Amino acid sequence: MVDAVLLVLREVLEAALMFSLLLALSRQYELRLVWSLWALLIGVLGSWFLAHNAYAIADALEGTGQEILNAGLYAVVALSFILLALMLMPKLYKQAALQRLSLSLLFVIIVSCSLMREGSEVWIYLSSFTHKPDALTSALIGAIIGTGIGLSLGAITYYLLVFMRRQFFLPTFLVIATLLAGGLSMQIAKQLLQIGLLDSAEPLWDSSFIVAEQSWLGELLYALLGYDAQPTPIQIIFYGAAITPILLAGLFLVAQVVLGGVWRKRDQSND
Amino acid sequence: MKKITNTFPLCVGLMLLLLSSVLQAEVPTFTIEIRGHLFYPSQLVVPANTKIKLLVINQDPTPEEFESYELNREKVIMGGAKATIFIGPLKPGDYPFFGEFNPKTAQGVIRVEQ
Repeated sequence: MVDAVLLVLREVLEAALMFSLLLALSRQYELRLVWSLWALLIGVLGSWFLAHNAYAIADALEGTGQEILNAGLYAVVALSFILLALMLMPKLYKQAALQRLSLSLLFVIIVSCSLMREGSEVWIYLSSFTHKPDALTSALIGAIIGTGIGLSLGAITYYLLVFMRRQFFLPTFLVIATLLAGGLSMQIAKQLLQIGLLDSAEPLWDSSFIVAEQSWLGELLYALLGYDAQPTPIQIIFYGAAITPILLAGLFLVAQVVLGGVWRKRDQSND
Repeated sequence: MKKITNTFPLCVGLMLLLLSSVLQAEVPTFTIEIRGHLFYPSQLVVPANTKIKLLVINQDPTPEEFESYELNREKVIMGGAKATIFIGPLKPGDYPFFGEFNPKTAQGVIRVEQ
């Protein structure tokens, strides 16, 4: 049962944290929460569908279907976070209404794709007990406990963020979104390394003596930021490619605000 | 801003093209079998500094997930199915792996030797 708790928690945690993050954003900006129902529905049904077709997916594309699909889902979520960050950034200095529809759509995409990928593993895991009723009961209880712990951690994250003042919340959100986008794109590289599409090299560093990936903190950091104790150079390149657009947009914004200030001053002195 | 985001997939695609051109060379293959939630062999010796293709055959009717923190790999292998996992080039040393769905029994190690 403990195995089931840990396995399910590990799978649920990432989606739960993203879900909380986006729920908090919705609450901070008084967006409607209908998107969350759609995201959960599509995510759960989608994960079941992927698990149900696991054989076909694994065999597809000369046995690389599972990795290509995972890489695709990671990519969609990473791009959505980049887009979200770029859309939110102007709100740092001017209070404007958010484009509600497009934001909700992004939220649904992010949560449902994450849930699909992680949830399918839970279904596959549980399917191995279908012919052993005793073991199935214990695995199901474990799965429920694991989901419960994951949701509790999500709830803590949500309340931490939702009670934050808006001027602190937005920068925090942008930093987390940037780190998430980077971490997710490292996972894309990892999938492509696994099928030999990218060539591996020696890891750039090994930080497992500080935080081991299999430790509690390691798992949490993995779920939150895609932490990797031994990343290869190509993973770092992917990380950089994902966070660059957000960083550039940030710099552009800072420059705009600073220059704007300078021009305003000049205008005033001309008067 | 839109322009910057649009170049991201392009960059990724370019990197893929550049790096996949190297992979056509012959890669040594090693096989691991899963039977009764155990890995056979549970210790596999492979050469150092070489890219290696692991063929993992799951003889059990139940699914298993091949996972290794040290190798940075994880892959679900359905019952009766087989999976290909590329690892290396690796430095000499021991790289443990386990079956995430049966972590108590399904354990093994890849020993990389010079």
